Amino acid sequence: MLRVSNVRKVFESTRGTYVALDGVSLTISDGEFLCLLGPSGCGKSTLLNILAGFEPATAGAVMSGDAPITSAGRERVMFFQDAGSALLPWLTVEENVRFGLRVRKMPKADWQPIIDKYLRMTGLDTHRTKFPSELSGGMRQRLQIARALAVEPEVLLMDEPFGALDAMTRRHMHAILLDIWQRTRKTIVFVTHDIAEAISLADRIGVMSSGPCSVITKLIDIELPRPRDLTNPKVALLYNEIEALLAPDLARIAEHA
Amino acid sequence: MVEIQDTAPTVAKPSEGSPTHARRTVIIDLPRSALAVGSLVLAFLIWQFLSTVLFDPFLIPPPLEVIRTAIPMLMSGEILGDVAISMTRVLVGFTTGSLAGIVTGVLLGRIQLLHDLLDPIIELLRYLSPTAMIPIAVIWFGIGELSKYFLIFWGTFFIVVINTTAGVWRTPVARQRAAECLGASQLQIFVLVVIPSAVPYIVTGMRVAMASSFMSIIPAEILAADSGIGYLLQKSSMLLQTNRIFVALLTICVLGFIVDRIFRFFVDRVLARYMSFVSQT
Repeated sequence: MLRVSNVRKVFESTRGTYVALDGVSLTISDGEFLCLLGPSGCGKSTLLNILAGFEPATAGAVMSGDAPITSAGRERVMFFQDAGSALLPWLTVEENVRFGLRVRKMPKADWQPIIDKYLRMTGLDTHRTKFPSELSGGMRQRLQIARALAVEPEVLLMDEPFGALDAMTRRHMHAILLDIWQRTRKTIVFVTHDIAEAISLADRIGVMSSGPCSVITKLIDIELPRPRDLTNPKVALLYNEIEALLAPDLARIAEHA
Repeated sequence: MVEIQDTAPTVAKPSEGSPTHARRTVIIDLPRSALAVGSLVLAFLIWQFLSTVLFDPFLIPPPLEVIRTAIPMLMSGEILGDVAISMTRVLVGFTTGSLAGIVTGVLLGRIQLLHDLLDPIIELLRYLSPTAMIPIAVIWFGIGELSKYFLIFWGTFFIVVINTTAGVWRTPVARQRAAECLGASQLQIFVLVVIPSAVPYIVTGMRVAMASSFMSIIPAEILAADSGIGYLLQKSSMLLQTNRIFVALLTICVLGFIVDRIFRFFVDRVLARYMSFVSQT
C-alpha cells in the first residue's frame, strides 16, 4: 500500500520559488490501477517522482507499506515515456532484461526461466537478439514492461508511458498492460493527460488541478467492466464529467498559450 | 491472453546507426571506390601537367619525379625509419593522453566539486596548443622522445577530457533512474550505465585528438628533433630538396588516412553496439 499524506513540493530556483504540489493526500491499495489525470504542468509527474523516491517531498509523508519512501526501492519500478533513453541501447532485448536480474543479484540459475517468461508475456521472445534501435516504439515499451516485471516489483509507476505512440499502437499497449495487470495483480500508478486513456484503464482516477499549488480535486471510482467501450453511454457520461472538471484549468491554460 | 502483433520496422533507420548499419560501411562499394581511384588519378594528371607546363618543376616537383625520389627512400628504409619514429611518438602520446583524458573526464562529469575546481583551469589551458608548448617542452624534456610524448599527450588530453565530460553529462536521467529502480547501486550505475552511454562522445573526442596529434607531431619535429617525418621535412628544406619535401608531405597524408581507417575499423568491430544514439521512442 502506498500512502501520500499532505505532501507539499516546492522547487527553489534562481528565478524564485514554485509550489508544485500543495497538500496532496492519497492512499493507493495493493493491486489497484490508479490513474493520475490532469493538464500538463499539474505536478502529476512530480508526484510520481516522489513516489518513486527520486525527489523528496518538501513537507508531508510518503509511505510504502510501513516504511517511509526516501529513495528508489526494490518494490517500486518506474517506467518512462522515452523508452529509447530508459533502455540500454548497447544491450539486446534479452540482455536488457538480464541487466535487471544481474544488478538485483538474483541467483544465476533463475535468470533464463524469468527472462523467457516475461519476453513471452510481452511478445518479444522472437526478437531476443535485436537491439532497441531495431525495435518499433511499441516494442520498446513492451521491453520496458518486460524488464520491469522481471525484477518482480509490487508497484509499477508509469509516467505517460504511451504518450509518444500512435493511437493504434497505444490501444494495443493498453490491452497488453491490462492483460498483464490482471494476471500479475501489480499495483499500478499511471500518469496521463488523456481522459480516454484514464477511463479505459483505471480502477480509480485522481483528477489533479493545474499548477501552481496542485491538489487532487476529485477521486473517481470506475466500476465498469473492461474492456470499456468509449461509445458506451455510461463511459461517455464519465468522460463528460471529467472534462467539465478539467474545463476551468484548460481554459486558463488556453489563455496563456 | 492478448494477441501481440509484430510491429517491428523492417528497415532500421540509418540515422539511428544500428550495429548492422555500422558494419555495412566496412564492405567496399565498388562503383564508389572506382570513383575515388579516378579522382586521385585525375588529381595526379593535373598535377603532372601543371608542374611541367605551367610552374617551375623545382618549386612544385611533378608526381613522377616525386615517385622517383620516393622509391630509393623506401628501399633503403630511410623513410620507414622516420615513419616508425613519428608513429611511435604519436601512439605513445595519444594513448597516454586518451587514457588520462577519459579518467579525468569521467571524474569531472561525475563529481561536481572536482568539476567546479578544475574546469576553469582546463578552460584556460586548452587554448595552449601543442605548438605553443614546444619551446617550453624542449627546455623541460630536451629534444628527445619525452618532449614529443609530452606534446602529443598535451594535445590529446584536453580534447578527450572535454568530450568525455560532455558524454557523462548527457547520459539520459531516465536511463540512470531506470537502472536505479531495477536495483543498481551507484557504482553499478556509474560503471554499467553512465560510462557505456558516454562511449560515442569519448570515441568522437579520440578521433578529433588523433587528427590533432598528426597536426602537432610535425611542428614538434621540425622545431625540436633529430628524427621523424617533421625532421625529414626540415632537413630537406634546408637543403632545398623540394622533391624530398613532397615525399614527406605525401607520407603524412597516407599515414593519417590509414590510421583513421584503422580507428574506424576498430570502432565498427568492437564498439559498434555502443555507438547507436537512440533517444526518442
